[in-house]
Amino acid sequence: MAQVVENMLQALAAGLLAGAIYGLMCVGLGLIFGVMRVINFAQGDVMMLGMYAAYYLFLSFGVQAVFGSVFGPYVAILLSGPLLFAFGYLIHRFLISRVTGARTTRLEGEGHFAQLILTLGVALVLQNGGLIVFGSVLASIRTPLSSSAWEIGPLWGEDVAVFVNKARGIAALISVAAMIVLSAVITRSRLGKALRASADNPEAATYMGIDIDRSHRIAFGLGSAITAVAGGLLATNYPFHPYIGIDYVIVMYAGVVLGGLGSITGAFWGGMTIGLVQQLSTLILPTQLQNAAIFAVFLLIVFFRPQGFFGRMVERT
Amino acid sequence: MPTLRSLGPILVAAALYAGLAALVTNSYYQLTLTLVLVWAIFGLSWNLLSGYTGLVSFGHAAFFGLGAYTTALGQIYLGLSPWLLIPAGAVVGGLAGLIVGIPTFRLRGHYFALAMLAYPLAMLYVFEWLGFQEVTLPIKRDAPFAYMQFSDPRLYTLVALVMLLAVVLITRAIEGSRFGMALLAIKQNEAAAEAAGINTLAWKLRAIALSGAIAGAVGAFYAVVLLVVTPPSVFGMLVSAQALTVSMFGGVGTVWGPLIGAAVLIPVSEILHAELGARIPGIQGVIFGLAIMAVILLAPEGVYWRVRDRLRQRRAAAPVPEAPPAAVEAGVVPFAAPARPSRARRRTGEVLLSVRGLSKSFGGLKAVQNVSFDVHEGMILGIIGPNGAGKTTLFNLLNGFLRPDAGQVIVAGRDRVGAMPHELARAGIGRTFQVMRPFLRMSVRDNVRVGAYLRAGSEDEARRLADAAVEQVGLSAVADRIAGQLTTKELRLMELARALAGQPRLLLLDETLAGLGHGEADEVVAVIRRLAEGGITIVIIEHTMQAMVRLVDHFLVLDHGAVLVDGEPEQVTRDPQVIEAYLGKKWVAHAHA
Amino acid sequence: MLTLENVSAGYTAVSVLKGVSARVEAGQFVAIVGPNGAGKSTLFKTISGVVAPSAGTIRFEGQDLRTVPAARRAHLGIAHVPEGRQVFPSLSVMENLEMGAYTEAGRRAWKRSLDLIFGLMPVLAERRGQYAGTLSGGEQQMVAIGRGLASAPKLLMLDEPSMGLAPAIADFIFDKLIEIRAQTKLTILLVEQRVAEALESADHGYVLEAGRVVLDGTNATLRADDRVRQAYLGM
Repeated sequence: MAQVVENMLQALAAGLLAGAIYGLMCVGLGLIFGVMRVINFAQGDVMMLGMYAAYYLFLSFGVQAVFGSVFGPYVAILLSGPLLFAFGYLIHRFLISRVTGARTTRLEGEGHFAQLILTLGVALVLQNGGLIVFGSVLASIRTPLSSSAWEIGPLWGEDVAVFVNKARGIAALISVAAMIVLSAVITRSRLGKALRASADNPEAATYMGIDIDRSHRIAFGLGSAITAVAGGLLATNYPFHPYIGIDYVIVMYAGVVLGGLGSITGAFWGGMTIGLVQQLSTLILPTQLQNAAIFAVFLLIVFFRPQGFFGRMVERT
Repeated sequence: MPTLRSLGPILVAAALYAGLAALVTNSYYQLTLTLVLVWAIFGLSWNLLSGYTGLVSFGHAAFFGLGAYTTALGQIYLGLSPWLLIPAGAVVGGLAGLIVGIPTFRLRGHYFALAMLAYPLAMLYVFEWLGFQEVTLPIKRDAPFAYMQFSDPRLYTLVALVMLLAVVLITRAIEGSRFGMALLAIKQNEAAAEAAGINTLAWKLRAIALSGAIAGAVGAFYAVVLLVVTPPSVFGMLVSAQALTVSMFGGVGTVWGPLIGAAVLIPVSEILHAELGARIPGIQGVIFGLAIMAVILLAPEGVYWRVRDRLRQRRAAAPVPEAPPAAVEAGVVPFAAPARPSRARRRTGEVLLSVRGLSKSFGGLKAVQNVSFDVHEGMILGIIGPNGAGKTTLFNLLNGFLRPDAGQVIVAGRDRVGAMPHELARAGIGRTFQVMRPFLRMSVRDNVRVGAYLRAGSEDEARRLADAAVEQVGLSAVADRIAGQLTTKELRLMELARALAGQPRLLLLDETLAGLGHGEADEVVAVIRRLAEGGITIVIIEHTMQAMVRLVDHFLVLDHGAVLVDGEPEQVTRDPQVIEAYLGKKWVAHAHA
Repeated sequence: MLTLENVSAGYTAVSVLKGVSARVEAGQFVAIVGPNGAGKSTLFKTISGVVAPSAGTIRFEGQDLRTVPAARRAHLGIAHVPEGRQVFPSLSVMENLEMGAYTEAGRRAWKRSLDLIFGLMPVLAERRGQYAGTLSGGEQQMVAIGRGLASAPKLLMLDEPSMGLAPAIADFIFDKLIEIRAQTKLTILLVEQRVAEALESADHGYVLEAGRVVLDGTNATLRADDRVRQAYLGM
């Protein structure tokens, strides 16, 4: 009995930790979708770039020497944010902007296709370019924390204890902190309000003097940066390779849909739910099926509550 | 049916391809030639669903993979031959299409695309869990031909070519038929398609079943060619992406698109892989990705359409000029023509449509409140009212787009509340839309034909009905012009013809005169009047009374969702309430002062 | 302040404006009336840059607007209160007003504008924290007008502020326009279907029909002209 309880608690803890990172990851995609209504196929690969960016930043520029092997990785991860912001901003400026916005209405609904396939092309280039540049050997951002854990317990008498890997715990905390900062930016700052206005009604936003293209560029950059940071945090626990994006792009879609397309806090809770489903499913399903469980939940949500569980209060008109 | 002439280019291309394959002896290049065809077939399968209906599927690998595993497992566990297993793969794929389609077609747009993505990936994990990580087809040295294990790789190319030709024939047959037209109509405007009598769900299910069957068959064949099946190689996201990529590259919604896409992209990627793959792994993917991006930026509609549009432009050296603005009225509003004489007669027909106490609210907004009126056979009823008065909502309630909160819609004696739009279309209610959505690349005749299938039993009959409708609205002279070259007035008339082709008893016209100048509006009014004289009952919505006074027998004035006045034109235009609704109450105050 | 010369514009398949010329002097209140489908909203969208003209020129304070992207035009002092209100539903009333004040001028005049807006429409002050999407139609229209005022514009363009509103609410909105005019002396360009109300307080009116100006003149001239009535009622 104690064993069952302990397993459940352990899975719950694992789910919350993974869920926090997934949540942040989803927020990146959710921000892009919310503002631009663009499905970005390359989001997983942007996350992969974030992982490698953190990896190389850690190893170079003396980050490791200055900040040590405990703090160094986190400094590198935070530094990768601005880098990937610039990347996303430029990708939008020179590629995505040409097939979204006003130009798409020109053709009979084919703009939608064009935008999808363009991001697919970007995804292919990033994955395979990653293979060329980074090689196919598994990389990881190891910190001493990766192999140590906090023990919570004993609980309920002497038998039950939960172990929390320190690296995962810190990654989850940073994710939650990043999410809080981001929510504050989105809800309170002038920029955040302009982004929300652009998402709500691009035409009216233009009448206010808001440059919609600029809003989209910033959203794309910001979304890239957020997902990249989440990727870096993930990389402190899991080894990665240039094709890792495909695995996580699915997690991101599921989380974003779960949270309600267009809602940013919803996307975070959606990602959190995915993390929990993934980890809790291991209690009753073989490990190989944990991703299948995600899809099952995803499909159920899409069918029965397509507006998501955490959708915004006010419907977009 | 596709004519021999239209198939000519494809047969020639097939013959050339077979000739090329016969000359290639290098088995690696031969495999590439086979794979071009495999991915072309897969692209055609994707195109059949997504290209024609506009519902983007990211999950075609689900059908492909099921087909592949049908062959692999069927041969291992049941000892069956691929000659049987490929058709079996088609059946499995088709059934999977239906099973996936029934729940998933409830979704739209992004949700549909994302839900489709989940199916193959869930299957990928399930097949891995079942222990089918790497399934190798058993080698049958004793009966190579019975098990499709040819020693001459050229035979694989030949089999693939035959399959491709079959799929091309199927696609071409669908393209010009009621099936293809229904899918195109769905892509353009699903609501309008329903209103034109198309049972959209039924057609979409047929499309996904057929598409799944083709994907299943080609997946089954793919397993035979490669002899090894792994979940990522048949269910992976890149497999679905492959279908999308070849189709979009070549051009969506045409049989040539996937063929061109596969013929260009597959050899490029295979050759790159062979030449550079060892030294620079991934270079193939990079070049592939860059090629895709370049095409999207330079020719987002795909190679085929870009080339075709260019050729068209060149052929039509003198672009069709927009009709000169019909006789500018130099600031003078012409006086109304005398009203139609035979009004009394028109009230005597039997009641075709009777609306009783119809109401509909959206949230707190009462869009339509307790509206009642009768439409007699043969009359023209005008529904007018200022912006936001609830006119279009009323139409949506009449033809089944919306379900009323209360009230009855009695068509020929039967309450039809709750009927689907396509059922009401069958019952004889035709409708046009305020926002026109013509198929810009199709001819006027073909645009109109979409509406004719409602009544037509055969393609010939559909064509006849369409031609008759085109003539009725007076567009015969431009019947072969593509809709993209028409003027506003001609487009309006074409929409009218499309509704007419379904032989309605009652025609609901939503702002057919909007955006037309005086002269143009008069022409359209004349057409509508002719239709009414021919026995069609008409209900027309307009904001303005201008042209309407000369057209209608009876007015229903709506304001804030409710009937303000119900009466004859002379009476309505003098009614103080109407004048107030239109010109404001201060106008009335001044008039009385 | 604003001059249009022979402006034509439209959408892919439909040309809506066919050579419209009009002018608005600084401090003037100009009304554009005409039946629906005449191109009034398209005219507004062409002025604010969302629809590109196919011919003709538009000048604002002497500057040719063709070279000014849509989002920059608000910064020149053109405020467009669009048809159907188009508030930002998931932003609060206050945030909607802040978006109105996105322009440099709007930010500088923020305190003053807020006093003006809340003074005219106290209900907005009460509802400042509420999502604009949950407001009634009349309140949303007030938000939209407030948003326009918050940009401290030189020219306020209002597109059918009475559309879809119950008569009493529409009257209330009209009264507010007259108050705004009296208090601010703003240059106003108004599109309205309800001719009488629109012309009542306007200095000058244009009657637009099927994409052309068919009549223009002062309030009194237009009222006296039977053609206005014909344009609407057909007889």
